[in-house]
This record gives sequence, structure tokens and C-alpha cells, in this order.
Amino acid sequence: MEENSFVKDMTKQEPSKPKRWQNYSAENSPQAWLYLLPALIIIGVFNVFPLIRTFIMSMQTGKTLNSMHFGGFKNFEIILRDPKFHIAIFNTVTYAIVVVPVGLIISMLIATTIYTKIKNKTVFETIFFIPYLTSVIAIGIVFRYLFNGDYGFINYFLSWFGIGPINFLDDPNMSITTLIIFGIWSGLAFNIIILLSGLRNINENYYKVADMFGATKMEQFKRITLPQMIPIITFLSMVNFINAFKVYAQVYSLFGGKAGIANSATTGVFYIFNKFYVDFKYGQGMAAAVILFLLILTFTFIQNFVLKRISR
Amino acid sequence: MERFNNAVSKLFVVIMAIITLFPFIYMLLASLMTFQEATSIPPKLFPAHPQFKNYAEALEEAPFVQYFINTIFVSVVSTFGTLVTSILSAFALVKLNFKGKNMLLLGMAALLMVPYEVTVFTNFQTIAQLGLINTYTALIIPSLASIFYTFYLKEFLSSIPISYYKAAKVDGCSDLEFITRILIPLSKPALFTMSILSFISGWNSFLWPILVTNEPEMRLLSNGLTSFATESGSNVHLQMAASTLSVVPILILYLIFRKQIIRGVVRSGIKG
Repeated sequence: MEENSFVKDMTKQEPSKPKRWQNYSAENSPQAWLYLLPALIIIGVFNVFPLIRTFIMSMQTGKTLNSMHFGGFKNFEIILRDPKFHIAIFNTVTYAIVVVPVGLIISMLIATTIYTKIKNKTVFETIFFIPYLTSVIAIGIVFRYLFNGDYGFINYFLSWFGIGPINFLDDPNMSITTLIIFGIWSGLAFNIIILLSGLRNINENYYKVADMFGATKMEQFKRITLPQMIPIITFLSMVNFINAFKVYAQVYSLFGGKAGIANSATTGVFYIFNKFYVDFKYGQGMAAAVILFLLILTFTFIQNFVLKRISR
Repeated sequence: MERFNNAVSKLFVVIMAIITLFPFIYMLLASLMTFQEATSIPPKLFPAHPQFKNYAEALEEAPFVQYFINTIFVSVVSTFGTLVTSILSAFALVKLNFKGKNMLLLGMAALLMVPYEVTVFTNFQTIAQLGLINTYTALIIPSLASIFYTFYLKEFLSSIPISYYKAAKVDGCSDLEFITRILIPLSKPALFTMSILSFISGWNSFLWPILVTNEPEMRLLSNGLTSFATESGSNVHLQMAASTLSVVPILILYLIFRKQIIRGVVRSGIKG
């Protein structure tokens, strides 16, 4: 069927084009699907199908996976009334709105300094990029050790300045702060690398002209660097926001497989994981997943819109 | 004033660099401490006598060798699979024209917006219903194709002139021959970067292995590491040794292929 209409298309088009040899027919070839097939099967089974299934299951109730039946919006009602879910969303949003801007500002400071003032750029670039590649889990275990209330290095360090000791890990009020510190630390790497590549792409002549007219470095930063970097900053804040909304492995490793003391650091994905894998409330877990998905989409669009407005 | 500013911002970058590196250095140092040293108050920075036996002890207490084998096997096979499926599909998307191509591209781009965490749980169900829990197949199969890397490669392939393809066709070269004899050699750098990045993300993968495995022998490094951390309790020196073991291979890869890795991340980051 498809091939037929395809052939028709070709015959329709060919007479109208004067240089037939340019439309070499092997190019207009449905055999492309053959090459796409392996990828499309995997993507279909493990990307498209589960997405649809998530939405379907969010509407289903049932004790086991094989006895699920339609339950309308019941799962959503339960989830939205669940105080644990409120905490999870509150934690996730708090984490996102602190980590993203703070992380971006610190990265911007580091990247611009490296770019403008430091000679051994590669050395610093190499160092700052390391956390992007190393396992969050392994480093989370290290941070757990560093944050330890008794023998942790961070409290020892803070004590030099007369601060603390702070109970980073076992105080419900501190869990999110601890998580945020770890989140900022591990997020800098990607930001710095992308920002540096952006800075390298700014035409140097802009700065030369600015220097000729006697613009200060600060003015140059505000008038040249920042406007040129807006697209990259927009991109980074979007990627960061999405990642912040999905924070999970950081919590898991930092608090030893739990969501912090008394579940004080439950995040959205952690909540889904527990509903699904610990409580076996599949439908409710998927309802939470749908809500998280929609939240991420909405935030992305709002942010895109706001940042576009600002850049004008 | 300007000079003062310079000094302050340089100092800031140096301090931040130290903060970035410190956890790694401390991990290494603590992995060589005795239990008493690792948990002493106030904390020590250097071990009096490096305890290399910590590594042997950590390897004994949990089947880390098995974790290593599993991790390497799973990462290598999924990387190889991703390479094959991505080359084929990127070739089709760049060099061939077919009906529905634009729709397909649009759909794939839209799928990129779907967070992995939204589909990972229902994927687990698919695997469970197929009876594949605790198998290598389960660990590998979902990462045999990647929209992300397909797009990454597509970007690269579009810089290869279409006339190469036409010339090859005129000379009677089949599509597969064109791929293996022209496309792959020409896109070696991109394929190489892709493999490293895909290998590293396989190495560090966590949520998927924790879902589809519950037998210790099937664990990958990162979930083996977390279970070791909970089981070994306060044996932090062993935990640090185990963490070092799982981080160092990646660090070595990074130090060897620094340029390719950074370039790859920047490229895929900005365009992806």
C-alpha cells in the first residue's frame, strides 16, 4: 500500500523535474525503513510502549501486575492527597529552584574566570569536568563519609571557622540542604564545560573594539559576554531543571539507600520507586510518574518562554 | 582595583578546583587507611602506613570481580549494539529519502523529551512479564538503541557530502557496502567518542540494574557498590576502597581520551 502510493509520487514528480539524474532514484527509497528497523524496534518496545503504558497504568488499580483493571482517576486522587507525595514534590521543587540558579551562577563565574584570566585553561577544564564522568553512586558514598557527623571531614573543616558541628545526614531538617550541596557540586562539571565552549565561540573582535572605546571589563561582560551567552544559558538551565526534577541516585547513595532520615529527602522519582518497588502500588506509582512528567514539561515550557522574553 | 579583582576571582577558581578534586583525593587516601584512622576524631588526611590490603579485603567481602565482569560485559555489548543500530538508522535518516521521514524525526525528537525515569518502571514490567529478570538480556536490551546517539551521529554524517553516496551508487556499491567502506571509516572520530560516552554511561548506570536484578551475581558495579555500602556498615575504609575501584577505570579512560570526551559532550550537549 505504502509502496504503491510511493511509486505514484515518484511518477508524478519526475516529469516536472528537468534534471532527472539529480533525483537518483535509489535515494528515494523505502528500504530506509529496513535500516531503521533495529533501532525502531528497540525504541518502540522500550521508549514508546512504556510511555503509553505508564499513562494506561496510572488509571489502573490492582494488587498484582496481571490483575490490573481500570480505576479511573482514583490513583491520582490518592496520590494528590498523600502527604508523602506533597513532601516529595516540595523537596523536588526546592531542590530544583536552589540547585539550578546557584549552580549556574557559580559555573558562570568559574567559566568566565578560566576563560579570561587563567593561563592553564586545559588543566582547570580537565579538573572541573571530572565529576561529570564518575559514578554519582561512588561519589555519593564518599560524600556520605565526608558529611559524617562524627568523623566527617566537612564538619572538621567547618570547625576551623567555629562553625558547627552540623548534623548533615541524621537531621530531617538538614537532609535537603545536604542533598542540595551535593547536587550543586556534581552539576558544575557539565555547566562549566558547555559555558567554556560557548565563551570560545564569541568573536574576539567584539572585545577588541570594546577595548578601543575604553569599555571596562564589567561593561564588556554585561554588554557582550552575557547577551552572547543567553542561548547557552537557556539551554543549560533547561537541562539542569529537567535533571533536578529527576534527582534520585544522589539521594540513594548519600543516605544509604533510603530517602534520608525519616524519609525527609524523598524526591519525586524516589516516591515513584517506593510506590512501585517497595509498596507494589503500581497504579499509584505510575500516576505519580505521569504527574512528574507533566510537571517537567510545564516547567520546561514556562522557563523557555520566560528566558526568551528576557533575552529580547 | 582590577588587579585585586583578578586575584580574588583566580583564588575563587582555585578553591573551587580544590573542592571539586577533594572528594576524589580523600577517597583515595581514606581507602588506604586503617579502620581506626578512617574513623578517627578529628579526621586524618594521610594514612600512617598505606593499607593496600583494604582493596583485597573489599574484594573478598563482596563479589566485586563478578560486578566488574558484569559491568564490562553489559557496557561493551550495549555500546556495540548502540553503534550498530545508530549507524544504520543515522545513515537512513541522512542519506536516504523516504515517506514519513519528517514525521519520524519529529516523533524521535519528541521522545527525547520524555524523561528516562518515566518509562523505566514500565520497562521493568515488560522485562518481568517476559521472564527476563536477573538476566544479561534484561540489562542490555533497552540500551541497544539510542535516539540520542542516533541524532548525534546524524549531525556528524550530514557533513559527509551526499555526492559520495551518489558516486558510490553509480559505481554499483550497495548501501551496506557504502556504510562499511565509506561511512564508518569517515566517521571514525564520532563513532569513537560515541563509544566512550556510551561505555561510561553503561558503567555508571544505576536505576535500571537495580530494578531488573535481585541476585548478587547479576549486579553491576554501582548497585553492587550501594549494597556493599549498606552491608559493610561503618567499614568506611573498605567502602572507600570499593568506590576507588569503580571510579579509577573511568578516570584513566578520561585522562587518556580527555579531548575526545570533552568534545563529544560539548557537541552532543549543545546540539542535543
